Amino acid sequence: MASGLFTFRGKSSARADIMLGLGVAAALILAWEAVARAGFIQPQFLPAPSRVLGALWSMTTTQGLLWHAFVSTMRVWVAFLLAAAMAIPIGIMMSSYRVVGASLEPTIDFIRYLPVPALIPLSIIWFGVGEETKIFLLWLGTFFQLVLLVADDMRRVPHEYVEIAFTLGAKPRQVLTDVALRAMGPTLVDNLRITLGWCWTYLVLAEIVAADSGLGFVIWSARRYVKTPEVMAGVVVIGLIGLVTDQLLRAWHRRMFKYL
Amino acid sequence: MDPAYIGFENVTKSFGTVPVVSSTNLSITRYSFVVFLGPSGCGKTTLMRMVGGLDSPSSGTIRLDGEIVSAPDRRRGMVFQSYSSFPWLTVEGNINFGMRYRNDLSVEERAARVTHYLRLIGMDDFRTSYPNRISGGMRQRVAIARTLAAGSDVLLMDEPFGALDALTRERLQVELRQIQREERKTIIFVTHDVEEAVFLADRIILFSARPARILRDIDVAAVLGPERPLEAREGEAFFRLRNEVLHMIRNETGGQR
Ligand SMILES: Nc1ncnc2c1ncn2[C@@H]1O[C@H](COP(=O)(O)OP(=O)(O)OP(=O)(O)O)[C@@H](O)[C@H]1O
Ligand SMILES: [Mg+2]
Repeated sequence: MASGLFTFRGKSSARADIMLGLGVAAALILAWEAVARAGFIQPQFLPAPSRVLGALWSMTTTQGLLWHAFVSTMRVWVAFLLAAAMAIPIGIMMSSYRVVGASLEPTIDFIRYLPVPALIPLSIIWFGVGEETKIFLLWLGTFFQLVLLVADDMRRVPHEYVEIAFTLGAKPRQVLTDVALRAMGPTLVDNLRITLGWCWTYLVLAEIVAADSGLGFVIWSARRYVKTPEVMAGVVVIGLIGLVTDQLLRAWHRRMFKYL
Repeated sequence: MDPAYIGFENVTKSFGTVPVVSSTNLSITRYSFVVFLGPSGCGKTTLMRMVGGLDSPSSGTIRLDGEIVSAPDRRRGMVFQSYSSFPWLTVEGNINFGMRYRNDLSVEERAARVTHYLRLIGMDDFRTSYPNRISGGMRQRVAIARTLAAGSDVLLMDEPFGALDALTRERLQVELRQIQREERKTIIFVTHDVEEAVFLADRIILFSARPARILRDIDVAAVLGPERPLEAREGEAFFRLRNEVLHMIRNETGGQR
């Protein structure tokens, strides 16, 4: 079963892969625990995983960690869906009609290179420190990247598919919905998944600067009192949410594109 | 039979300043199987695409049944060498694809046509398979069936069997020739392969190197007749014609093809 694991570009079963991945993760955690317990490093720099776990529990019971996680997740998803809802049609149009592509590309390319942190002050001036600022910053960080990725996915749809559809009697609109969207589906969903990951990066940033809730806020507050286990616990929660989301989206991808 | 079902009238084509097709006049009769043969890069694909309405001539006109071709429609279906079938649709879904855009067919008629063409290409058992799970030869069969089901009168085939192994290729040639006769279709077929050209064609149009110009118009049907069973390729007439065409290519195009 596992022999393929050791061959160059070999094949192995999904179970062997998962066991191996979990095994390595467990080994790393154990090593960390051992190093932390050995006492060479002060616990406020490197607390043991068991203490992080303890912090996780006490934060859940006394500080409403789950609520903070929920708030952060909502922010990410609202901003992400907003960005996707705009980026998908605009990106497709950019690659379908030269007039749209030629007029938008320079602007989008410029904004794409603006570092999001540099826009935080501006965003606070515009939107104050409420939810709008956070959503705006996340949207800013993802929309301009995503729109170019979508445009690229659309451009990569083989021309043959489009031409075949035309010679089978499809109209441009039908070619768009029945061919282009279907052909770009798998890479589009992949790009959405990757972009969603970036959203979390900007979230923490936004919550550190301007928030009184969310995981970024939790991490930053804990840092002020050098509660390192709590800082780490906050980071772990973000990692876990990311991992679960990613796996769910992958599973959905496999179901949706069974033909691949 | 009208003499000019598909007609090229003084057709030229340039891409930018590069002339690709020099003034071409050609008329193709209905229900004939015409093969375009010529050196690599001479403009065969471009000529075929113009018939499909996917490219337009720089000057001159192409007519189908008297009407000037200006845009693609379902009367002329393309079959390419690669990306020929839609990977997200099953075999059945692929064959049904073009019929979705026809409102002259009832649901039952569509289903009946799908079944008919599935049988015609001998792929009844693969109805629900996805293209990634079937062989390259089967994918080309599906592409042919899809074009027929959509109701195309003309099949434009650009080296459709170019990527297949020799045996599969031979089988498909026999089947295609049979389908063309049974379904009464007009086919323009582009190939590099002289043997394939001779086996399939009623008529071979031999083109020069770029810019494409008609060098020879070879009446294959007069020599080999309309029926092309597999054994036809073993006959003496077939060999003689094949060698003749090969010589023409060597003499007139400097040996490349
Ligand atoms: N869209 C285009 N823009 C510019 N040049 C083109 C375009 N399409 C084709 N050409 C050029 O026109 C010439 C003829 O191309 P075409 O594909 O028609 O040749 P072909 O006979 O089908 O070649 P092959 O045997 O390699 O398929 C080639 O030199 C090609 O580079
Ligand atoms: Mg070609």
